[in-house]
Amino acid sequence: MRESQLYLNDVNRSFDGFKAINGLSLVIAKGELRAVVGPNGAGKTTMLDIITGKTRPDSGEVVWNKDTDLTKLDEADCARLGIGRKFQKPTVFETLSVRDNLMLSLSGDREVRASLFHRPSRDEADRIDGLLDIIGLTDDGLRLAGDLSHGQKQWLEIGMLLAQEPELLLVDEPAAGMTDAETMRTAELLRSIAGERSVLVIEHDMEFVRALNCKVTVLHRGSVLAEGSLDHVSANPEVIEVYLGR
Amino acid sequence: MRLVAAVVWLCISFASPGFAQTLEALMAKLPDGNFSQREEVVREIAATGDDRAAKLLEVLSEGSLHQRKSDGAILWVTGSRRDLTGADPLTGENLGPVEPRSTSAIKVNNSLRRTIRAAIGSLRLMHPDPVRRMEAAEAAFNAPDATQLEAIEAALVAEQDSDVAAALTQARAVTILETDAPLSDRVAAISVIGERGGRGALNALAGYRASDEPEIAVAAAEAVAKIERTQAMWAQVQNVWFGLSLGSVLLLAAVGLAITFGVMGVINMAHGELIMLGAYTTFVVQEFIRTSMPELFDWSLLIAAPLAFLVAGGVGVAIERGIVRHLYGRPLETLLATWGVSLVLQQLVRSLFGPSNREVGNPSWMSGAFEVGEMLVTWNRFYIILFAVAVFAGLLLLLRGTALGLQMRAVTQNRAMAAEMGIRTGRVDALTFGLGAGIAGLAGVALSQIDNVSPNLGQSYIIDSFLVVVFGGAGNLWGTFAAAFSLGIANKFLEPFAGAVLGKILILIFIILFIQKRPRGLFPQRGRAVEG
Amino acid sequence: MTEPLISRRIGIFLALLFVVTVAVPLGNLVIAPGSTGHVPSHIVALLGKYLCYALLAVSLDLVWGFAGILSLGHGAFFALGGYAMGMHLMREIGDRGVYANPLLPDFMVFLGYSELPWFWYGFDMFWFAALMVMFVPGVLAFVFGWFAFRSRVTGVYLSIITQAMTYALLLAFFRNEMGLGGNNGLTDFRDVLGFDLTADSTRSALFVLSGLALGAGILVGRILTTSKLGKVLVAVRDAESRTRFLGYRVEHYKLFVFVVSAMMAGIAGALYVPQVGIINPGEFSPANSIEIVIWVALGGRGTLVGAALGALLVAAGKSYLTAAFPEIWLFVLGAVFILVTIFLPKGVLGLIESRRAQKRDTLVPDAKSAEAKA
Repeated sequence: MRESQLYLNDVNRSFDGFKAINGLSLVIAKGELRAVVGPNGAGKTTMLDIITGKTRPDSGEVVWNKDTDLTKLDEADCARLGIGRKFQKPTVFETLSVRDNLMLSLSGDREVRASLFHRPSRDEADRIDGLLDIIGLTDDGLRLAGDLSHGQKQWLEIGMLLAQEPELLLVDEPAAGMTDAETMRTAELLRSIAGERSVLVIEHDMEFVRALNCKVTVLHRGSVLAEGSLDHVSANPEVIEVYLGR
Repeated sequence: MRLVAAVVWLCISFASPGFAQTLEALMAKLPDGNFSQREEVVREIAATGDDRAAKLLEVLSEGSLHQRKSDGAILWVTGSRRDLTGADPLTGENLGPVEPRSTSAIKVNNSLRRTIRAAIGSLRLMHPDPVRRMEAAEAAFNAPDATQLEAIEAALVAEQDSDVAAALTQARAVTILETDAPLSDRVAAISVIGERGGRGALNALAGYRASDEPEIAVAAAEAVAKIERTQAMWAQVQNVWFGLSLGSVLLLAAVGLAITFGVMGVINMAHGELIMLGAYTTFVVQEFIRTSMPELFDWSLLIAAPLAFLVAGGVGVAIERGIVRHLYGRPLETLLATWGVSLVLQQLVRSLFGPSNREVGNPSWMSGAFEVGEMLVTWNRFYIILFAVAVFAGLLLLLRGTALGLQMRAVTQNRAMAAEMGIRTGRVDALTFGLGAGIAGLAGVALSQIDNVSPNLGQSYIIDSFLVVVFGGAGNLWGTFAAAFSLGIANKFLEPFAGAVLGKILILIFIILFIQKRPRGLFPQRGRAVEG
Repeated sequence: MTEPLISRRIGIFLALLFVVTVAVPLGNLVIAPGSTGHVPSHIVALLGKYLCYALLAVSLDLVWGFAGILSLGHGAFFALGGYAMGMHLMREIGDRGVYANPLLPDFMVFLGYSELPWFWYGFDMFWFAALMVMFVPGVLAFVFGWFAFRSRVTGVYLSIITQAMTYALLLAFFRNEMGLGGNNGLTDFRDVLGFDLTADSTRSALFVLSGLALGAGILVGRILTTSKLGKVLVAVRDAESRTRFLGYRVEHYKLFVFVVSAMMAGIAGALYVPQVGIINPGEFSPANSIEIVIWVALGGRGTLVGAALGALLVAAGKSYLTAAFPEIWLFVLGAVFILVTIFLPKGVLGLIESRRAQKRDTLVPDAKSAEAKA
């Protein structure tokens, strides 16, 4: 077994009595690509909130790289550790240019002083050019991010995620609003990233999950219902019940 | 009561020495005889129980009662030596100027004066009207006079009214302390006074703590300590009351905002000016009533309230349709635009009604005060608390129990879904905003009773109102309720230590710090609905 | 692509500012009264006051226009800077006051103070007062911002508590016990650094200083906002939580710009006080602070020069209207608030910009994307 990148053990979190996360345990190995599926309200987004420090769990362990306790850290800390997150709704800096969006995302010192005395460098520009190439926005670098189409914003956000060079990428429904061809390209991109980095994808689109060709975790009511290959979990009667029963 | 008193009077009259005679006849006898005979007449005068007797005796005691030399008539002579005026001592009727030396004063000596004082005391203490007897008993308590003891005791025997009897018992106790009655009687008296409590009792007893007799000193000190404890307790009760009163004002000012800001998420900086419009509506209604139908003045507030609701509510709907509607989802811009509205409304009112305070009167049922224990409660504050709670309850009912309330909640929770279901969201927005504004108008009616009605009225409430809503937790009416009253009470408890202004500053600092700790207030709205 | 430090717009503004800063004092001191081109002394003082307002507006634009923090308490920082300067000017009166007390200002003698309160020490030295002009607002902004930003108070909630802050200060400064002159404030100043405040030359010097301060303020703002830090601030304004997920400590960035802005407002207040000759608690009134916001909104938020222009426009309009038609001033100001927020979300500068863009669009169809780059 490979070294664990992220380890969740018996995590609980409730909101006003509603148990959003209920005894959730999950292990992501280094370099693994994992898809998480589940019906609405299964706790997928809350799980990401807990991993990224946005929400504190009521109880349970969330461990990064075997030794770092994530439950004590906030969003900025988690990001600096190397956890990158892409939101379900594409969230980019609308009044900044595409290049500036990427420039802010590039890994580097995030402190006030460093930002104040930051000077743009050749190397930085090259990295941005490279990213623009990957996300297919080479011609749009100077446009305002707010003027991009929905799909382009999705790509930009993926680009921002890559710019951070995180060890773990948390990707929330990347295929929403993309064409079929784009969806396949995204799957391909994520597959190529995995290995070097760990990737956790939340997705509804089963075609996309199939294209990822990876281990699948089914969440239901805040805990893991089934885990394994897509064929394995889709044969599970409980999973069928959850997905088709209503 | 009157009848009983009269019967008692009759008994006493018959029991007194001599035969009951009219006051006029007795007065005529005053100039005759020596001082001791005159004392006898004074006693008989007192025994008549006549209303006019006390005044007559007072005049006699002052030495202003004269006999006219020419016809022996008795006159009440006042004025300086050069400019004397005569009056009928019984009726007070002016009888014109009196020639100097045409009359001779009826002489009084110290012994007679004492008798007169006692006679006046018993006259007052036995007055047929229990209210007057009560006053006399209180007066005897506050200025204890050993010479009055007999009169007090006689009155106590005769007294039928239990309240007056209690007051007399206390007056007797204070008076006994002034005498050299047996030690045990005086200690008992101290406990009677101690039971009474209050500032008067404190004054009566304070001096005796330094008494030479240890028993008296100890008893007095204990009683004083007990009274002070009671008073401290009442002071707390009073603080709570003032706090509730301030809280009710805050609640009235803030509850409309709890609708516009808390429920709709719209910052309405013109809220204070809508309150001001309510107050000016009250003013206009009262002016109209004063000139056209003064007999309706006591009804003026009840007439003004629905009008104020409509005026402020109407302006509110206009603000929503004209301005706020274009700015949904941009709360900071809404803040600025409604601030603009507030400036316009202020200047409008200033131009129409002038910059100075306008007089809004209290109806008779809101004037004056009543006592609860040792605390004075003014009617206007009392009614404003009732009114605030009533407005709040009405609002809760409206939101919970009517179709409009249901639609409001539907729209604020999920606008798109509500629109799908056929709710006209625009209309609901306008009505919700209008409701919040109308409640501001109602608040204005109440505040016109305790605050200056001027174009600046609203400015003094807007910041407080926002803090109340934020402190309570936007979107939660009960939070606003709790916040208004807890801030009101906290403010009043701080005032004695910190002073009014510093107290207010401390409250502001507290809220600023509180919001850091709990940005969503005391009772945060649940769910994802309200994002600042 | 980094923007140039001096854009066309900034360049034009700074050039105009320079011309005014030079021309007004010349017109006052060199050109004789009565001849054309003479600038009367009271106009110099009035324009100097406007320049201070413009600097104050620039300071607010830094936090609101760029970082999206709508402070309704910037008047407080301005007033604190003003008080710090006022305290120095009071000390400089020395024994020339009505009561001729060498140590205590008149109001203290009047209120029966026997000695100088501790916080008045040091203000007899100009350098100390000048330091306090920035230090006091800076510290208040730091403490307030530290708490507020750390606990993520944002949006209207932050606006409301900044308003509560200035309101609390208003109440506090009205108290005689504060030892700062109560509701009369500080006034009857004589001179500054030995120069008579009523002399034309001193007024002109203060005017020039105000002009330089405004220019410097815009430059500092420009340096900050064109740096990567400025982009982070805009990122915070656009999507605060995204910025956090990128690893930026949003609260540190906000705190930094809030403190810088408060210091700038303090400097504006310090230049304002000697030119108007008084500082009193009225400057803390919440209404003043909201008015600053409309200066920025009218000119165009996030443009720096727009904020300055908005301040000049409103201040000039106020001077004219309150003298000529006092009744309608609040109607006009109220209307500006309403109309700007509804119809001019980008302010006057935004309007000019889009007009120009339209014109160019009709000439070159492809110009729209070029415009977006600017």
